[in-house]
Amino acid sequence: MSGWFRRLGGIVREAFAAAGSSPIASIATVVMVAGLCVTVLLTTGRTVGAEQAVLGSIDSAGTRAIVVRADASAGLTSSVLDRLSVVDGIEWAGAFGPAHDVTNTDIPDGSKVAARFAFGTHLTSIGIPAAAALPGSTAWGSTLSLAMLGLPDGAGSVTTQSGGDYTVAGHIDVPDWLAFLEPALLVPQAPSDPEPVAVLVVLAERPDLVSAVSAAVQSVLAVDDPTKITITTSETLAQLRALVQGQLGAFGRGLVLLILAVSGLLVAAILTGLVTLRRKDFGRRRALGATRGLIVGILLTQTLALATVGAVLGTGIATVVLAVGGDPLPGLAFTAGIGILAIAVSIVAALIPALVAARRDPIRELRVP
Amino acid sequence: MAPLLEARELTFGYEPDVPLLDDWSAVFEAGEVVAITGPSGRGKSTLLYLLGLMLAPTAGQVLVDGEAAQALPDRVRARMRAQEFGFVFQDAALDATRTVLDNVLETALYRGESRSAAIPVAEGLLERFGVQLRAEAKPGQVSGGQAQRIALCRALLGAPQILLADEPTGNLDPASSDVVVDAFHEHAATGATVIVVTHDPTLVARCDRSITL
Repeated sequence: MSGWFRRLGGIVREAFAAAGSSPIASIATVVMVAGLCVTVLLTTGRTVGAEQAVLGSIDSAGTRAIVVRADASAGLTSSVLDRLSVVDGIEWAGAFGPAHDVTNTDIPDGSKVAARFAFGTHLTSIGIPAAAALPGSTAWGSTLSLAMLGLPDGAGSVTTQSGGDYTVAGHIDVPDWLAFLEPALLVPQAPSDPEPVAVLVVLAERPDLVSAVSAAVQSVLAVDDPTKITITTSETLAQLRALVQGQLGAFGRGLVLLILAVSGLLVAAILTGLVTLRRKDFGRRRALGATRGLIVGILLTQTLALATVGAVLGTGIATVVLAVGGDPLPGLAFTAGIGILAIAVSIVAALIPALVAARRDPIRELRVP
Repeated sequence: MAPLLEARELTFGYEPDVPLLDDWSAVFEAGEVVAITGPSGRGKSTLLYLLGLMLAPTAGQVLVDGEAAQALPDRVRARMRAQEFGFVFQDAALDATRTVLDNVLETALYRGESRSAAIPVAEGLLERFGVQLRAEAKPGQVSGGQAQRIALCRALLGAPQILLADEPTGNLDPASSDVVVDAFHEHAATGATVIVVTHDPTLVARCDRSITL
């Protein structure tokens, strides 16, 4: 193993020395790879950033939400959540009972807020603890509802019109797709007997699943009177989202492939020129006992090092330019992906020149004047 | 016991109908210094490249320790060149972009040897052959004679079993030539074979035997 590391260390040292001994070719390779990253990020990256901003706007409007509203006579109960638990493609599901007004116990004449019983195991994602203390008698409120109740600290108690009390235990974060419940005051219920449900909210994992998940939700509602049920989805918005994503994505992919192909050819041309200029060097190495694999290894390591420098420089410059220009950033994954792709293209482009260098007849190369 | 190096019925030509060597055979034993002489253009350097496994003969074989080298895969022949052979080329063939020390150490990588362990050996060889330069000196800053001695240091670094040298004293003054020829004999005394292509009659006279092409 130590011999393997020693050989690897030797290859790395030779690769860096070779890069240093051909400064113009090395700088050209770095500039080419950096240029590739800058070009992609300032064109496709900008498009991706814009695409993500558009999709984010569409998503924030509740593209993936399916809202089921049920009259009291419909017979929808919290047991629907058990049946939904076996349906694929659901990211979040929660059920809410009929609204009943409450006021701050200390301010009986204060503002009224609609409290709802809440059911489901996904409530933790909006800030209600998994094991809520005293289920059925503890409430969590949104910032708006707590402000209306005069409980901005999220602590106190509220009283229902029928005289029952709930202890207010804290804040919840109301996501966009639950905004219609505002001002929201939720009273989580223990998963025991089925309770009446007035609103069921299901979030599909992806916009393209909304239609299928919506159909699955309808099939498991098990209500007494389907005519008393209203289902609201954003299928049109989901289709628009898919269209935006598809068209912008196809444009971006085409452009990236074109830029990568052109850059790969240029890197290959630079390295072919480098190999031609250094044919005597490779001839000497082969004559003195370097294997073909070692020659290929040195050239590829040299390219890897130069391409990495170029990729870091290029992605850094492009990110700064985008940020300074106030353009949306394409995100770390896309930026890193372009950098890695640029390095991979350079390595592939270097492979043929490296193989050519390794297969040359050492004596013929040594005799080059 | 097989000879260290044997050329058996070698035929070779750079052009198909003009053979430089035709059915040429010779045996090189351990411990001897052999001169190869002859007029220019007779294929002395080419013979050295054939014996050093850098060229493939059109016909015939080169045997190293009794093993037919041409039949071996390229990778194995490359390893053999790095581990069993040492070469001194006529024009020294140094890397002008690297330091003198880096040039001497070059073959350590091909043998898979530790560079740090090879540095004192390389420095000792440079001192022995009178090449005492600044560490960062490059081949472009040395004379032709010094370049030839640096190439000799590179060839001797791995203590090869077979040392092949092409006009190793061509650029040297008589005193330096004597040092080099002494080094050949000392190396042969370790059980190695030294084959020298030369036009220098003084060098030929100091070899154990000579072959004329």
